[in-house]
Amino acid sequence: MSAPPASTPPAPPADLAVAGLHKAFGRHPVLAGLDLTVAAGTLTAVLGPSGSGKTTLLRILAGFDRPDRGSVTIGGVTVDDGRCHLPADRRHIGYVSQEGSLFPHLTVEANVGFGLPRGQRRGGRVGDLLDAVALTGLARRYPHQLSGGQQQRVALARALAVAPRVVLLDEPFASLDANLRAAVRADVRAILRDAATTAILVTHDQDEALSTADYVAVIRGGVIAQCATPQDLYHHPADADLALFVGDANLLDGVAGRGLVDTPLGTLAVRGDLGEPRQAVTVLIRPEQLDVHPGTDGQGAHGRVISTSFHGHDTVISISCGSESMPSPTLVRVHGNPQLMHGSAVTLTVREPVCAWPSGGWPAR
Amino acid sequence: MTATQARPGARQRRPPVGETVRGRRAPVPWVLLGTSTAVAAVMLAPLVFLLIEAHGAGLATIAGLIWRPLTATLLWNTIRLLVVVTAACAVIGTLAAWCVERTDLPGRRAWAVLVVVPFAIPDFVVSFGWASLTTWAQGFRGAVVVMTLAAYPLVYLPVAASLRSADPGQEETARSLGLGRVATFLRVTVAQARGAILGGCVLVALVLLAEYGAFEILGYQTFTTEIFSEFQLSFNVPTACALSLVLIALSVMVLGGDAAARGRGRAVRTGALAQRVPGRQRLGRATIPVLAGFTALVGLALGVPVGASVYWVFEGGAHAIAGVSVADAGWHTALYGAAAAATATLLALPVALLAVRHGSRTSRLLERSTYLVLAMPGLVIALALGYFAERYAHGLGYQTSPLLVAAYIILFFPLALVGVRASVIRAPVALEEAAASLGQRRPALLRRVTLPLVAPGLAAAFCLVFLAAVTELTATLVLIPTGVQTLATQFWAYQQNLSYGQAAPFALVIIAIAAVPSYALGRYFDRLPAGAKRPL
Repeated sequence: MSAPPASTPPAPPADLAVAGLHKAFGRHPVLAGLDLTVAAGTLTAVLGPSGSGKTTLLRILAGFDRPDRGSVTIGGVTVDDGRCHLPADRRHIGYVSQEGSLFPHLTVEANVGFGLPRGQRRGGRVGDLLDAVALTGLARRYPHQLSGGQQQRVALARALAVAPRVVLLDEPFASLDANLRAAVRADVRAILRDAATTAILVTHDQDEALSTADYVAVIRGGVIAQCATPQDLYHHPADADLALFVGDANLLDGVAGRGLVDTPLGTLAVRGDLGEPRQAVTVLIRPEQLDVHPGTDGQGAHGRVISTSFHGHDTVISISCGSESMPSPTLVRVHGNPQLMHGSAVTLTVREPVCAWPSGGWPAR
Repeated sequence: MTATQARPGARQRRPPVGETVRGRRAPVPWVLLGTSTAVAAVMLAPLVFLLIEAHGAGLATIAGLIWRPLTATLLWNTIRLLVVVTAACAVIGTLAAWCVERTDLPGRRAWAVLVVVPFAIPDFVVSFGWASLTTWAQGFRGAVVVMTLAAYPLVYLPVAASLRSADPGQEETARSLGLGRVATFLRVTVAQARGAILGGCVLVALVLLAEYGAFEILGYQTFTTEIFSEFQLSFNVPTACALSLVLIALSVMVLGGDAAARGRGRAVRTGALAQRVPGRQRLGRATIPVLAGFTALVGLALGVPVGASVYWVFEGGAHAIAGVSVADAGWHTALYGAAAAATATLLALPVALLAVRHGSRTSRLLERSTYLVLAMPGLVIALALGYFAERYAHGLGYQTSPLLVAAYIILFFPLALVGVRASVIRAPVALEEAAASLGQRRPALLRRVTLPLVAPGLAAAFCLVFLAAVTELTATLVLIPTGVQTLATQFWAYQQNLSYGQAAPFALVIIAIAAVPSYALGRYFDRLPAGAKRPL
């Protein structure tokens, strides 16, 4: 991946703010007062399950659809509110769709140069962009002669060619093979960083969101449930639902003390303030916060191995602690291959501190 | 992303239907809806005219005219021909398509062209070829032979296309499950091509119901020939009207049967969509008989009409070939054909746009209603328009060029719609959005994206209608302006006088005009799947 093309016109990346966005299709509300702020020059992932309104949000930002209510501000300029609607061709927003949407009648070169003024369409800039997306030799190919990953990179180069203030990526990796996806994702991340563009990536894949983005905004019920750095979101999710959504989680019932929480796995240090002592809480323990030791002599909770699944870089062990208060098996992630037989007795210890929320409102599972 | 490169994983991650269908589409523009409604109304006008006529004549009169022995004779003639010819076309078309697409038949590429060319030769020219050479081809026997040879490409073309795009892995799987070659062909290949065979048979049946010229030459009486003589010779409007209603009812039944049969199951291609080149079956010792069969088919379907025309040109040398009249008739033919093709393509545009981009119950209904035209034979459309012009417009417009062109437009609108629809699909809204996000305003976007994508399809639609109009005889005979001749009507006039030598040059010109563009068209539609076709 080379440095950004020298001839890039200086277009400072813009920040983006969305406030109170509503959009319904028929009687089915998709966005219900969504707020989101994206700092200039950062990559924010919008993460949500299928049908949660991610694409609708992107299409409103791009100017393809109009919101029912709410406002969109890009670089301090309001482009959408109740009264005004700036059409897509005047927003300077790059859009990379799930399918790439390359023009099938144009070569790669002509696709990339499409948005440029006539004089620049066949010049150094297009070549530089193709270098940047590592497609130098394919300028004369047609889209149907490219692989899915190559098509995505052409689509990205085409969007970047016009030096947009914001780039929107709609599940650009969803149609790629799993092994190709990681590589293209890393490439795209590097290209976007080099171009220092503000970018919004829509995805349903939590791995992708956590590994690629500077900030992750989880969309749920038509609003942003939490927007945080990937580390924050993973370790301090706003509620148990989010905890489960962004990764494997052990959720335990506990009772809050002062800075501590009583759980079936022992009394653990807790992050943050839980408010009233003696309150029922739900405790989050990520599988990698647990250590497992063979035998039952050490300190900690005892259990038996139900199953192990080996993933190469780590192994996930499912352990039954056999107590009434912990009906579901506990997941533990360990490095390497710990050689634990099915049914063998083990001891669990927790690396503190843990994260917990008051149990009220937490739906029974 | 093209259809062939879509990964299976991509499917599961689509948002639910509600979001894609309603969310991605703008509200239906009223201009488009209004224009489409007007177009649909024009297409259905002949049917309305016909019903008005029937109403004027009185229900009792019409019923009395239908309940006659004549109707029974016509029904028997029409239906036995329909059954025999459709079955023969299905067998010949399917077998020929399978041999060309799936076996190692020597000279496949040449055969693929030769077996399709008869499609471009009008049926009345084929029957002229046979009838002018031998008296053997008369009546039912002649009708079966001529119509089978003229119509089997209607089955061959869709079946060949479907075999090309079908999954060859299914045949291999069947063989691996222990089915023999014949059993595989019957249980897998035919099943795969079932929709295409059925579609082809429907087209054959509709052609048979609408055909006039060929049956007139062969002396075989069907509804169409009877309606023509009632209207044109005895000017017996109520009888023509009553018989037309029966004819339309038959066509509607054919179309309805097709829709019903289509509803049950369809060929599904599972798994990765990457296209594999199908393995070819070895013909082995069957090669010689199969080659002989192809030679006979092409000889009879192509050789006889072309040969007969050439023969009569030389044999009839005593007549001075009126080069001027050929040129004059050719000019009018091209003029009418081009006017009809341009207008029909233009009128199909709003209907296709509405159906493809704003799918709703209303737009589907509008689109489907225009396909009802398929059930109206050219003769009936011409009669309805002519009668209406005479009766209610005080003869204004009857036997004038605009009315003839209008009849062509209505008659071939479904053809135009098929072509335009395919071209509109190739320019999805997503590409226009991509262009807009790159800063392109509406006019630039239409010029640089939409137009280049739809232009080939629009040209194809134009060619389809043009070709159909050039080879049209029946409606032209009814509506041709006084003192004007087209190639077809001039051919017909000479042929009726048994002036074969004078008729033959017109037949050859028609064949020449029709054959070359239809070959190009065939190539265009063939290449559609290989190009950038998008998943729907």
